[in-house]
Amino acid sequence: MRDCEFIRESLGRWLDGDIRASDAEIIRLHLESCGACDGERRQLEKLQSSLKSLLVSNVPRIAFEPFWAGVRERITEKPSWREEVVEWARSRFAAPGLAWAVPAVIVVLLGVLSLDSFWKLGSQRNNFAAVESIDAHGRNVALLREDETKTTVIWLYQNQEGEDESSGENTETNPSF
Amino acid sequence: MESSDWELVQKCQAGEIGAFQELVSRYHQKIYVVIVGLLRNREDALDVAQETFFRAYRKIKSFQGGSSFYTWLYRIAVNIAIDSQRRQKRNPLDFRETMDGLFEEQNEVARDPFSDVHDRELREKLVSAINDLTPEHKAVIILRTVEGLSYKDIGEILGCSEGTVMSRLHYARKKLQQKLSAFL
Repeated sequence: MRDCEFIRESLGRWLDGDIRASDAEIIRLHLESCGACDGERRQLEKLQSSLKSLLVSNVPRIAFEPFWAGVRERITEKPSWREEVVEWARSRFAAPGLAWAVPAVIVVLLGVLSLDSFWKLGSQRNNFAAVESIDAHGRNVALLREDETKTTVIWLYQNQEGEDESSGENTETNPSF
Repeated sequence: MESSDWELVQKCQAGEIGAFQELVSRYHQKIYVVIVGLLRNREDALDVAQETFFRAYRKIKSFQGGSSFYTWLYRIAVNIAIDSQRRQKRNPLDFRETMDGLFEEQNEVARDPFSDVHDRELREKLVSAINDLTPEHKAVIILRTVEGLSYKDIGEILGCSEGTVMSRLHYARKKLQQKLSAFL
């Protein structure tokens, strides 16, 4: 036997008759033996009948002739120029035949953006790297500017003793970052 | 022999306004009942119902018969009603007018089938509980309860899947049940 949670979740569909016959039978049998779920069914049925009574029985019948006269008046009334423009645009641009236009516009936009990147690649990059000696005590500044990511690194450092001797000017001209 | 909806639609598309009049006479009451349920205001509902048929007339040439005519018509009606409801919620003045419409409904209680005091209270709570639902949840409840439409048809009207209709119905009923638990 299915548990109460499943039964209660299916009760609405069961009352609507929108459930498989085998499930409907399981629910019917369960309701015969489970007072709590049967109480839930009664509540739902009362809710349904109250809703129907409220939503259907209390609505007055409307006379057709005056109703139709109102609709006809709207139909024969000449639309304003603004409505005509909106209607024209809707009929021209919302037609299923123009469904290809949206992906086409996206492809063109992507193309234009790619072109922009392409031009950037082709253009000269303005990257920059340099090492300068600040004073006579071996303190240096290394400067790296990278144009693509707009990054500038300023590195202050002092040569170790011996390094000067072993690598000399080579270190200054080709700094490693 | 009575013409089918599709035959009348084809005549409308050929320019016969009499055929459209016949369609209006078939569906005006049903459409009105659904809209009253959504808006809870009879005058607004009448206006929205007439607007529904007006828009249907203007769009009828684009109707290809892919769905039934009444499904198509309900879709137009529900969309206009939901838009109108959202506008009312954004506009405090219109919202007050809706509340006036509600009081008018409550004053008519003495003449309706909810004659017993307990039932009258239930009705008032029910109106308030329905008004608290979102337009989408309200729409599934009304289309199912008033028209007895299938989940599939409701899905077509609201532009969602049957599964969504099923879960919205379940949620809406649960909400109503919770708010009315003392009366059920």
